[in-house]
Amino acid sequence: MPEWLFKKDNYIPEKDSVNFINKSILSILNILTRFKLQSNAKADKLGVNDLIKLISTLVLIIFVSLSKNFTYILIADIFLLMLINFLSIDEIKYVLKVSFVMAAITLIILLPSIFLGYGNNALMITLKVFATVGFVNILSYVTKWNDLLGALKVFKVPDMFIFVLDITIKYIIVLGEFSLNLAYALKLRSVGKSISKSTSLSGIVGTMFIKSKELSEEMYGAMECRGFTGEYRVYKKFKFKLADYICIIVIAAFILAYFYLDRL
Amino acid sequence: MIDIRKVSYSYDNKVSALKNINIKVQEGEAVALVGVNGSGKSTLMKLINGLISPTSGKFIFDGEEINSKKLHDEKFSKAFHKKIGFVFQNSEAQLFCSNVYDEIAFGPRQMGMNEEEVEKRVEDTLKLLKIEELRNRQPYHLSGGEKKKVAIAAVVVLNPDVYIFDEPMNGLDPKTKRFLREFMIAINNAGKTILCSTHDFEYVKGVFKRAIVFSYDHTIIRDGDYEEIMGDTEFLYENNII
Repeated sequence: MPEWLFKKDNYIPEKDSVNFINKSILSILNILTRFKLQSNAKADKLGVNDLIKLISTLVLIIFVSLSKNFTYILIADIFLLMLINFLSIDEIKYVLKVSFVMAAITLIILLPSIFLGYGNNALMITLKVFATVGFVNILSYVTKWNDLLGALKVFKVPDMFIFVLDITIKYIIVLGEFSLNLAYALKLRSVGKSISKSTSLSGIVGTMFIKSKELSEEMYGAMECRGFTGEYRVYKKFKFKLADYICIIVIAAFILAYFYLDRL
Repeated sequence: MIDIRKVSYSYDNKVSALKNINIKVQEGEAVALVGVNGSGKSTLMKLINGLISPTSGKFIFDGEEINSKKLHDEKFSKAFHKKIGFVFQNSEAQLFCSNVYDEIAFGPRQMGMNEEEVEKRVEDTLKLLKIEELRNRQPYHLSGGEKKKVAIAAVVVLNPDVYIFDEPMNGLDPKTKRFLREFMIAINNAGKTILCSTHDFEYVKGVFKRAIVFSYDHTIIRDGDYEEIMGDTEFLYENNII
């Protein structure tokens, strides 16, 4: 046993900012929390099946984008605010925050056009962005990732593409948890002044790279052992309920409103 | 030294991980944290390391309350982390430098020691952990047992007052387990406080004087003499510990 182990270090740390570690930890935690909340969320918050939810969102986005009628865009925004009520308070806050921020950025980008006298168009585009971002966020809150990926199958998205997306999302969580532990370890051992902060961070990035390579090799090995030959099939069946028919009627009304207000 | 009073903790204010925990650990004690998976041992260790703060209750270390406000003070936080060494369950998650020497030297260099002192500490630590030959190896390409030893060395070199081991025996071969057992006894004899969660009771004989048992519902169901608790097979079986 070395002599210094029997003594207590009389150590007073020098002041040095470790904000970058704390910020890294917080941002990883935020991502992981969002994924966890999403996976714990009730899939049938609206009672509508995933395929209908996905198609409805696409229809809403397409027709809002196509429309040049102010009333129609306002109806879409009001519909969005009505849909938001099905979410929890935290989710409502998040959806509104993201939608408002994106709309604000759009408005800032379009400021020159307002000064040139195209204020109405700028306002309409801003409202369209608000509605579109809102619809996509609501979809992400009321649908689990894997259900959403399963619904892609109906659109003839190749199985291999769905598989890659699925694995990517899973590994964001696995590697996220691993990187969180690395960041914790760095924080616990950062007990003084660091000469080069970027070196430690690049160490974490390097370790993550090796880890992800190892995991992918292990997973491929495991899949081969289970008979994987490069082909991947997604099996998904959708059942229609009353809520689905109501949703279809609402979306049909939305499409009709587009032709009534925009085209006639 | 460690005083945990009526501490509760829940993740995202939803999932309860600790419920009304009361623990007092004196300097130089060696305590085993025992319980089923998900009973709150790892959360308690994170809390003692200052990685999370209690939802309610108090955590007092060396007579001073540790809370998120204090841990935001960088100087205080660093001095606190220097006193507590945490050996992660997954050693890979603890190693981020390009070679073993740099990995172990990371702490002393942070402490502002000159390179001569750093070298002495690192060499002493390498000898203590019997990993001198790994000096220039890349941590990521070591075996599981070697990684664990390097992770412990990276903690030992900081000379903390408290060592916290999160299931240190997991995935190790019997020889490394025996080495770890001897090592824990040695550092405890050097006056260091040890808190260790484990399921591997066969290899930790003689290390602990006290055991704290956690239940499924995240509370402490027993706190007492290690040998006495380990002798109560009926109790251990009932609580899914053996």
